[in-house]
Amino acid sequence: MKPFWTLVRKNLHDARWPLFLSSSLLAFLGWLLVYVASRNETRIRQSLAEGKAGNWIRQMGLEADPPSVEIMMTFWANPPFIMLLVSMFALGRGANAVGAEIERGTLDMVMSRPVSRSAYLGAQVLATILGLLAITGSLAIGTYAATFYNVLKSPPTFGLLLEPAFNLAALAFPMYGYTLLFSSMDIVRWRPLTAGSSLTLAGFISRVISMIPVFKDSWWRPWAEHASVFSLYNPVDAVSGRGHSGQDVAILLGAGAAFIVLAFLAFAHRDLPANA
Amino acid sequence: MSLIPPHPPALIVSDGLTKAYGPHYALRELSLEVRRGEVFGLLGPNGSGKTTTIRLWLGLMRPTRGKATVFGFDCWSGGLQVRRLVSYLPGELRMPGSLTGLGVLKFLSGLRDGEGLDRAEAIADRVMKLDLGRKVRKYSTGMKQKLALAQAFADPVDVLILDEPTSALDPSARLDVLNLVREAKAAGQTVVFSGHVLSEVEAICDRVAILRRGRLVHVEDMHARRSLRMILVRFEGDAPPPFPEELGLTLRRMRGPAFLLEHRGELGPLLRWLATVPVADVAIGTEDLHALYDEYHGPDALDDDGEDPER
Repeated sequence: MKPFWTLVRKNLHDARWPLFLSSSLLAFLGWLLVYVASRNETRIRQSLAEGKAGNWIRQMGLEADPPSVEIMMTFWANPPFIMLLVSMFALGRGANAVGAEIERGTLDMVMSRPVSRSAYLGAQVLATILGLLAITGSLAIGTYAATFYNVLKSPPTFGLLLEPAFNLAALAFPMYGYTLLFSSMDIVRWRPLTAGSSLTLAGFISRVISMIPVFKDSWWRPWAEHASVFSLYNPVDAVSGRGHSGQDVAILLGAGAAFIVLAFLAFAHRDLPANA
Repeated sequence: MSLIPPHPPALIVSDGLTKAYGPHYALRELSLEVRRGEVFGLLGPNGSGKTTTIRLWLGLMRPTRGKATVFGFDCWSGGLQVRRLVSYLPGELRMPGSLTGLGVLKFLSGLRDGEGLDRAEAIADRVMKLDLGRKVRKYSTGMKQKLALAQAFADPVDVLILDEPTSALDPSARLDVLNLVREAKAAGQTVVFSGHVLSEVEAICDRVAILRRGRLVHVEDMHARRSLRMILVRFEGDAPPPFPEELGLTLRRMRGPAFLLEHRGELGPLLRWLATVPVADVAIGTEDLHALYDEYHGPDALDDDGEDPER
């Protein structure tokens, strides 16, 4: 087992700066969003009660007089940079796993040692899962820490905050999965990264289009909505218990796992050239 | 009872090993054996199939046809077991620049259950004179190669595969590497040495395989070659004297009255015979590996299809 853990440690070492920066940024963002929620809570509640709130707040699933945590969660879903940061980490890790290593010529150094291909890819996957949990966990930690310094009507527990954080990590899992699959078949970094980014962007655009009111009655709207992994990320549902948050997370994890299994199969049967 | 000592058992066996990429063959029908405890050289220009052969042996690539085994393990299906017994120095070496020299050694030995770290540190520090506290990104190409060599020679394995191990090294470091290869052989390790510096291959190899355009074209026993003498002799008179059979002379080339002869064996009988025949001029020398290499890759070499092999 030692080679496997050596690889996990090395992968975490390689990803330390993106991990540190993403985690710090999200922890700070979590804090900032609590601050914003605290400052705006009264106004948002009043707007919701008077039916004057913006459509975007209602679309995020907020009812009148929601708990503070639901107000916070609208910010977790609406500004795309939280999803963007997590997506970037997942796409980067996926593209780097094999294609970039072959392109750099560093895969030889590892694969000429007594390391099985499954151990190599398994270590990549585990390091990414740990990284995703660290990044999304830091968002929950930053948010929870901020509740001690900002006035909220009903401060959430840390356990409650972990649920949307886990939903966010699960959102990135299929993105990592399909990018890893592309990377496992390739010899360069740019191609799997471009393919993974294009799919992710297409999913995001599909989600945005499906939410535009003018397309509400279009026959293709449900297809567009279901084609996007982003429709399975709903932090408000995750904390409110409404919707199918557990099921959504299971679908995200299942899709990610399926892509990862395909990546293992592709990697196990391919040639490993010296470099690109 | 045979007086010829038996060859050591074969450790690496290639049987019709072929690797094709569509219509292009990187390796064709390679059948050869590397014996336990020998230093085996792989020679050939770039693109001749040396690295492809090595990568097939390590299980990094799947053969299109044929098979190869190391210690009886199939190189593709049992690649992990093969790599437990083999240490490989890649020809094009890349290392993670963010690690220190010691960090790289720890990482590489960690991939082999932590074995060989102390010896790798000792070789890197004392033989290669490397500063292991420096980041690898600040190492020169030669220093990186030394670091990888230190790890390769420290691995507790039966087989060392070195792909152009001296390509980036200074002359004194090259000598150190050749000495380490000799030490490895003395310790019972089998070494596969792929390189372009013929003098180095000649100095350390027991046998040498020459590859051309993916085909094995010749295997030379270097011990037999070292006992080979080339005699350039010009006889007086119109006709040369008959060559005594017991001397084992072989005519390589004849140009006018000058004969180029190959001779193996004791020198005394040859000199005694030369003293008895009308010799106008004589030169006795050896033939280096370059001459053999040129037969297959020199400017006058033609391949089996009558084409220039370098094209």
